[in-house]
This record gives sequence, structure tokens and C-alpha cells, in this order.
Amino acid sequence: MNVMFYVAAVVAVACTVRVVTHVNGVHALLYFVVSLFAVATIFYLIGAPFVAALELIVYAGAIMVLFIFVVMLLNRGPQSVAQERSWLNPRAWVGPTALSLVLAVEVGILLFAGDLELETQTRVAPKEVGITLLGPYLLAVEIASMLLLAGLVGAYHLGREGGREGGREGAHREPGAGR
Amino acid sequence: MNGTDLVALGPLLALGAAAVVTLLSIAVRRHQRATATIAGLGLVAAACALPAAADVAPRQVTALVRIDDFALLYIGLFLAAAFATIVLAHDDLRRRAEPHREEFHVLVLLSTLGACVLATSTHFASFFLGLETSSVALYALIAYPRSGPAHAEAGLKYLLLAGASSAFLLFGMALVYADLGALSFDGFAAALLAGRGTPALVWPALALVVAGASFKLAVAPFHMWVPDVYQGAPAPVTGFLATVSKGAVLAALLRLFVALGGVERPVVVWTFGALAVTSMLAGNLLALSQRSLKRLLACSSVAHLGYVLVAFLAAAPVALEAVTWYLVAYFVTTLAAFGVVTVLAGGDREADALDDYRGLFWRRPWLAALLTGCLLSLAGIPLTAGFLAKFYALAAGTSEARWALVVALVVNSALSAFYYLRVVVAMAAPAPAAAPARRVPLGAGVLLAVLALLLVGLGVYPAALTALIRATATALS
Repeated sequence: MNVMFYVAAVVAVACTVRVVTHVNGVHALLYFVVSLFAVATIFYLIGAPFVAALELIVYAGAIMVLFIFVVMLLNRGPQSVAQERSWLNPRAWVGPTALSLVLAVEVGILLFAGDLELETQTRVAPKEVGITLLGPYLLAVEIASMLLLAGLVGAYHLGREGGREGGREGAHREPGAGR
Repeated sequence: MNGTDLVALGPLLALGAAAVVTLLSIAVRRHQRATATIAGLGLVAAACALPAAADVAPRQVTALVRIDDFALLYIGLFLAAAFATIVLAHDDLRRRAEPHREEFHVLVLLSTLGACVLATSTHFASFFLGLETSSVALYALIAYPRSGPAHAEAGLKYLLLAGASSAFLLFGMALVYADLGALSFDGFAAALLAGRGTPALVWPALALVVAGASFKLAVAPFHMWVPDVYQGAPAPVTGFLATVSKGAVLAALLRLFVALGGVERPVVVWTFGALAVTSMLAGNLLALSQRSLKRLLACSSVAHLGYVLVAFLAAAPVALEAVTWYLVAYFVTTLAAFGVVTVLAGGDREADALDDYRGLFWRRPWLAALLTGCLLSLAGIPLTAGFLAKFYALAAGTSEARWALVVALVVNSALSAFYYLRVVVAMAAPAPAAAPARRVPLGAGVLLAVLALLLVGLGVYPAALTALIRATATALS
């Protein structure tokens, strides 16, 4: 099903371009979610349904919610209500919705037409993923955990509100100043 | 995976454990000196695991990691550099008097772990993971001091460009996998030798991998971030970034290209040759006009990576020996130079502008002498480690009769002497009236003395190091 692959790939690229070019953080995030959906569809098409599910759960689910929380939390203050209202105008959500619809149609075709996966591909079941991760790639999992630890410690240090505990003048940060 | 594998992985395991223990000790009690001590002991423990690992080397542990003498030598080098960084950073963090200084040491350990994984990697997965572990910890290290926006700006610049370079690298790896279905270096080489590669995919893939690695190595034309990041990062971190992070990427590249046997291919030679010449020229020309010592050292590091690439291009055993020699000398010199910058910092600012060094010989003769030694070593003056390193690079270039590269190296060395000597001249100028200087703390003083001894020792008596490197170079080729 090469056509299905190319449609999903075009959706992914188009969404990612909009993520980069959009000036409004929340709208960019909307496109980003759709881009992740498209990548998940591609994973499904090439015979990796487990990775597709993970992509949806971990990226489109957990990580995106985290992003949105951060954006919301950065927008404290009275003007944020008006701002959030402006995010909800149709121009903002029509684009992502249309692109998601394309993907929804693809997924629908896949579900009802059955075996439409790309030819010459083997299906990678969850069991095989698990065996590979804890077998030959065990060290990769361990190194990745250290990578996450580094990210965690770094984010904790840099995300701390500077100066609260007796730092100097320059360490104070305006909330949301980084936006 | 069995017991022998665990012994072979000993240094990496000890380093990972050290990071966790250091983190837990911070959770129990925040104490800057205690945390630094624990982190330092962790590095010593990892170093103590090296001989045991050397006994079982060479050993392939899963497809990802290969522990051999080459990897162990580089791991030892990174551990020593990390130790020096922790000693210097202890002084630097105390001077800055900020809260929450302890996590610094955890990040240094994690970044070193990533570098060590890179030195052992024989697989694109461990290559990428090691590189990311080393860089992610570095983002935070560069932006570590929370006073003033300069550090955060440098951290952000490094984050963005390192992120972009990782994307290049990943895309290259994906192309390799798409074409050959192999991610291990050996599998990649075997598939290429069997003639299975599609040239239209394999060469762009290698170009992307080289471009991604060149960002990390700061080889021109991928060097734009270097001056700003070197200047914005705290001096000990700059030393760490300049040595461990670059050395690790170079080690992984050596492993990849020795496995591919590709250093002899004309396309590869032309690519790296062009990178080497542009790096030497760009680095040295940029350094001519710098008014800040950290920026000057940054630009000179671009040029030095160019010299290393000349050595890189020789045939495998010569290249391994020359590159490793160059890296050891470069590590010693760079760490000593940034060590001097660290201990000269006073009050709330670092000694960065060249004017801060005016008359240093009359105010701080020992430090000025050491910095002069470093600069002479970087310029490649005899009796210093840098001279022999450059001699090795030249020998490697002539061994393949690459006269254009050799000529570029010689011309650029002459060019570089000008700006190194300009700093020395400034240091010898009459001293202006200066504020009373900070005393050099004991730990940093001992460290600088050791580095000074190494700097001269390697230049006068190189045989011991040469023998060690020669023994390890055979492990890889």
C-alpha cells in the first residue's frame, strides 16, 4: 500500500512544517500532535503495530499533554483568558482537523480492508520488541536510562526558579519571559 | 551476558553507579565538598576497574559495545579529564556562591559516561545514545551558573545546534539501515564489501553522519557555535567540552572508519581533507582578531581539530597512533589552559579579556609561566607535548604523501604562533595596578602542577606514552 504510506508521509511533513513556521505555541502543538499521529500510521503500515501504539500513547498522549501543561502554566495572568479564547477560533483548528481526518480515513480503510500493509514486511509483535530490548539491546536500554537521568537532573537544575534560595539579583526570572 | 562481560564493562558500570550514588548523596545532604569527593572517588573507582577490564579485553559485549585496549585507553583519558574538571569546578562553584551547586558533579559523571560509551561503541545505536548522553548533560553544564543570561544563552545555542546535528546523524543512520539493514559498524562494512550498498543512499548517509559528527567536533564549516559557547560556559566546563566531548566523537569516528576501511577511499579522503584545510584556515583566521582568551582558545580548537583530521587520514595504525597522541597532548594542554583561566577568575567575573592577562608575569609568575607553556604547546614549540603531537600529525600526513595537507598544516602552524605569542607578549607587558588576587586553592594548585609536569614531560620523554598508544593501536586495526 504505497499510496497509503505516501499520504501519511505528506501529512507528517506538512504538519511538521507548520509546527516550525507557526508563531503561536498552542497552534504549533496541535499540528505536532497530528504529525505524531501520521508517524504512528506509518509505523502501523510498515508492520510495527506495537511501536505505532507506543507512539500514540507516549508521544501523542503523555508528552503532548506535558507540553500543553507547560504552555498553559506559562500563561498565568488576566490576559490569558482572552488569549485562550483566541486560540479557539476556527482558523486555528480547521487545518489540523482536516489533516487528522485524512489519517482517520486511512486508518478506517486499514481496519476494514484488513491486510493492506506494505508488501515484503514482517510484522513485529510486542513480544519480539521486548525480547530484542532486553536481549541484544539491553545496554542501550541502560544507557538510555542514564540519558534520561541526565535530562532530568539538568531540567531540574535549570527549571528551578533562580535566586529564590538566596541567589543573586540576575538570577531572577520573569515567569513566562522565555515565551 | 555473563560474569566476564560484566568485568569488561566494569569501568562503565562503576561510572554509572557513581552517578547514582552521587545523586543519592545529594538527596541525603547538600554539601559541595562531600559531593565533589564522592564524584571524584567514583571516577577513581572506574579507573581502578580498568586493569581488570584490560585483562579480559578484547571482548565484544552484545552487538553494541566492544571493550578493547583502544576503548580502555580513551576511557582512562576521559576519566582523568573528568577528574580534572571536578577539581577545577569545585573551586569555580565555590567562587560563584550560588545555591544548588552539587548537581554539577552528577552531570559531569553522566556526560563522561556518555563519552566512554562512545569510545566503546561498535553500533550506531550505542553511538547515538552515547553521544546524546554526553550532550544532554553538557547542555545543563554549560548553562549551569544561574547568574546572568550569558550562560543560559550559551547553553541554548549549544542545545539548538547539537539538536540539529543529532538530526543529521540520525537521518544518516536511518539511510544506512534503510539501504543495508545493518546498524552495527561491522555489519555495515560487510554489506558494503559485498557490494550491496546503493551508492545513492550510502554516500549521502555517510555524509550526514560525518556532518553530524563535525558539528560536535566543531570542524569548519560546522564551527559557528564554538566561540560563543566556549565564552559563555564556565571555564571548567569549557575545558571539559573541548576535551572529553570532542575526544569521544573522534574515537567513535575512528572506530567507524577503521571498520569501514574507508579512510583509503578517495571520496572520504577528499571530504576529510577539505574539512581539515577549512578548519585550519577558518580557526586560525578567526583567532587572529579575538580580544577574549576563551574565544581565542575556541578558534584555536577549530584549527587543532583540523590538524587532527590530517592525522586521521593516514592508514589505520599510523592514524590511530597519531590521533591518539594528538588528543592526549591536546587534553593536557587544554585542561591546563582552562585551569589557569578558572583559578584567575576573581570576584564575580572570569578572567576572559586579554586585558585581564596584561602583566600577569609580574603578578602571578607561576600561572603565567604555565599559561605560556600551554600556548607554546598549542603553537607546537619543541620541548612541549604539543610539538610532538604536531610532529606526529605531520608524519602521518607525509606517510601518505598528502603534500597539500602537510603544507596547509605547516603554514597554519606559523600563522597560529602569531596570536599565541600575542597573549604571551601581553602577559609580559608592564603590570597595571590590579586588585589583590585570589589564592590558588590547594586542589587546583596540585592539579595544575601535575598538568604542567605532563605538558613538559610528554614533550621531553614521549617514549612511555608512545609505547602505550602503540600497544592499543594494534587492538583496533
